[in-house]
Amino acid sequence: MRTTRGCGDVALTRRGLLAAVLASASLTLLPGCSAAESSEQITVAGSTTCLPIAEIAAEGFKEETGVSVLVSGLGSSAGIEAVSNGTAHIASSSRGLNVEEQKLGLTTIPIAHDGIAVIVNEANPVDNLSVEDLCAIYTGEISNWSEVGGPEMDIQLVNRDEASGTREAFRTIVMGDAHFDRRAAVLPGTGQVRDVVSRSEGAIGYISMGFVDSKYATTTVKALSVNHVEPSEKTIASGGYPVSRDLYFFVKGEPAPSAAAYIDYVLSERMDDMIREAGFIPVARSVSES
Amino acid sequence: MAGTGSAPETQLTSRERIKRALANGKTGRISKDAANAVMLGVFRCAAYITTLVLVAIIAYVVINGAPHISPDFIFGWPQGVNAEGGIWPTIVSTLYVTALAMLICTPIAVLAAVYLAEYAKQGRLVETIRYAADTLASVPSIVMGLFGYALFVEAMGLGLSMVSAACALALLMLPIVMRTTEEAIRAVPRYIRWGAYGLGATKWQVVSKIVLPSAFGRIATGIVLAIGRAIGETAVVLYTMGQAINLPISPLDSGRPMTVHLYLLANDGINMNAAYGTALLLMLIILAFNLFARYLSRKSR
Amino acid sequence: MNSTDTQRPETASRPKRELALVSRSTYLKERALQYLFFACAFLAVVTVVLIFAFTMLQAAPVFTDIGLANFFSLDWAPTEGRFGILSLAAGSALVTAGALVLGVPLGVGTAVYLTEIASARVRAIISPAVDLLAGIPSIIYGFFGMVIIRPFVAEISGGLGFGALTAWLVLAIMIVPTITTLTIDALRSIPMGIREAGFAMGATKWQVIYKVVLPAARFGIVDAIVLGMGRAIGETMAVLMVVGNAPVIPDSVASPISTLTSQIALDMSYSSGLHRTALFGMGVVLFIISASLVGIVRMLSKKRKG
Repeated sequence: MRTTRGCGDVALTRRGLLAAVLASASLTLLPGCSAAESSEQITVAGSTTCLPIAEIAAEGFKEETGVSVLVSGLGSSAGIEAVSNGTAHIASSSRGLNVEEQKLGLTTIPIAHDGIAVIVNEANPVDNLSVEDLCAIYTGEISNWSEVGGPEMDIQLVNRDEASGTREAFRTIVMGDAHFDRRAAVLPGTGQVRDVVSRSEGAIGYISMGFVDSKYATTTVKALSVNHVEPSEKTIASGGYPVSRDLYFFVKGEPAPSAAAYIDYVLSERMDDMIREAGFIPVARSVSES
Repeated sequence: MAGTGSAPETQLTSRERIKRALANGKTGRISKDAANAVMLGVFRCAAYITTLVLVAIIAYVVINGAPHISPDFIFGWPQGVNAEGGIWPTIVSTLYVTALAMLICTPIAVLAAVYLAEYAKQGRLVETIRYAADTLASVPSIVMGLFGYALFVEAMGLGLSMVSAACALALLMLPIVMRTTEEAIRAVPRYIRWGAYGLGATKWQVVSKIVLPSAFGRIATGIVLAIGRAIGETAVVLYTMGQAINLPISPLDSGRPMTVHLYLLANDGINMNAAYGTALLLMLIILAFNLFARYLSRKSR
Repeated sequence: MNSTDTQRPETASRPKRELALVSRSTYLKERALQYLFFACAFLAVVTVVLIFAFTMLQAAPVFTDIGLANFFSLDWAPTEGRFGILSLAAGSALVTAGALVLGVPLGVGTAVYLTEIASARVRAIISPAVDLLAGIPSIIYGFFGMVIIRPFVAEISGGLGFGALTAWLVLAIMIVPTITTLTIDALRSIPMGIREAGFAMGATKWQVIYKVVLPAARFGIVDAIVLGMGRAIGETMAVLMVVGNAPVIPDSVASPISTLTSQIALDMSYSSGLHRTALFGMGVVLFIISASLVGIVRMLSKKRKG
């Protein structure tokens, strides 16, 4: 599968590198696209978190209908901007619309739940933390496991880089206005966080729920309950588990028929396993979403 | 070869005194032979550690990478979320951008070296050029990446593309090729030139027909070394080429070189097998170029 | 870009006789080629000026919008509008110093062993090994550091394994080839006669190395160390993968830190506005450091020549 390309005419805008990615991608014409199909193309731009889902769906969708879907991960804000100015058909986002963006007249379509598991080393006896504890741990106020009912052991903080959607979600849900302790190790990848936590007894980190039990991993980590709610597909889908968020597609007005078909494909049952493999939880079709 | 001092204590010639000073420093607590043996052992250790580290790194990458190398891995495309499958587009991107960088860099660097070796008179201007070349050689690669991004990607509007990355890489290769070419040209014996001048050749004729051909082997060595350096470069290409997995056709295409692919895989830390495989292939390509350079330099000697 | 500068050195010093013998067209062609060559050589100067000017231009708001007081403070918190690079610079300094402490003895020792002690057969094995070590790309060193050295450091320190200590080990390995190759050059340039004089006085090999060879080669060795230092300060990817990227003054050598180079590489992908200008400002700082190191080396070599 060929990933991360946008298309359409994009002027270089203030978004610096991100815009340049899109601009350069627009210069890129894929030789593999046969001419017959290239007349119709759907562009999905936005969150890197949603990238795997959108890409897998694009692959399957192309096989089924012959319509190619160009997926690019530029960040949620850039995606929303792209769809509102008509550069992209669909914006993917790991957050809801903010006050300003709600004025743009976009339609919100939830596509999956993303639960964030708080992970610790298997040797750590702590099983549960409250959101307040988590916040205090990540601001550096609590620096020893004994303060949260664990053994006398320094807490080794593992954080994600600022470009990460998971960090953004964790910050919004757990931290509120508080700032992360800057002494925390900042790692730019999910698997790395998992690996580091699995090897250091005092470590704590957070990763997408789906990567807690990764088929690639050779080591194990323990996912904590938060506010005494265990992270599971059920608790995340029901909204009981506090550290979770929803992933969305946004479209402007009435989407083109092919774009609508693609959205239906993403929401269809065939995608459920794929979404799980990418570390997310499919939206329950019976539950109506806001 | 060191004679053991057995001179009588009474007659201290200056030679003897120097010998003693050399032997024991001011105090004579440790015998000089013991000190010699220990220190030579220390130096030997340093050399062995260096060699051992190299062997360890190569062995580690080979042992972990070799099981994942297969024709499918080399010629396949990355598939799905975790980049399973192959790394073909990244290999092509790496070779493409390196070839392009070489095409940009070589003529400029060789001609610049010709100027420095054959035409220039020592003076402040030449000093400045040499200082500039040395500075260029030592600019941190991430700064070169920042500059390449600001100039080629943004200001010149080339976008994240092969040509942007190639230009930045060419700047990196320029001082290397320049220096080796200049040394190669200077190593060409003077009398060959005098012979040619004696036959009435102009300077350019001497340079193009006599000097450059006889220096060719060593120039090629320098170029090949610079290529090895460019293939392994990450920070420069990270923000000039982009990260899109794409088979580049035109120089304006974006792509993802092997080094960046390895970096992203290692960071994700999920599909480490592909990371090991990529690391091994990358190392093999670079080692091949370096060995080729050694072969060239031995041949030209 | 070069027309004004070219005339000075060329016309003044060119012997007339040499070119008076050829036809005017050949003369013009030769002259044109000479200017072309000069243009190529001068491109190096142009590029260096461009790099500085361009990075500086991008970093201009550091002076106006961020302010030097903010830029040269300890707090690096771009989201809160604080762009202090000092803790990052301290990280760079710490990482470089440790790498030198480990790398210099190893590099110089290897060089001395290869030039003064080793038999031709051993040299034929170790010398290419050093060359190959120099050829291994930094991303592989970083990868190796991440998967092997970091867990090892985590084991012995009880922490996460990210931090200065891990970076020292990785960087020391990386600067050894640079130091070794340059030191070998320096040692080889010392005439054999000096060594023989030492041996003739009854000195042992170690005494000759310590009292004669190393002092005679000291400028060359300092060159090697300074250039190795430049390599350590400028190294990006390998450092990025092992330091843990926490922009603070660390509590210990095994707790996460960040450096100028790694922070640029980490933040560049998403930064915008003032944050981005601060990154370019850090680029300018790095450029100035590396250019001054080169300047020091050149001054030393001038001194050596007399």
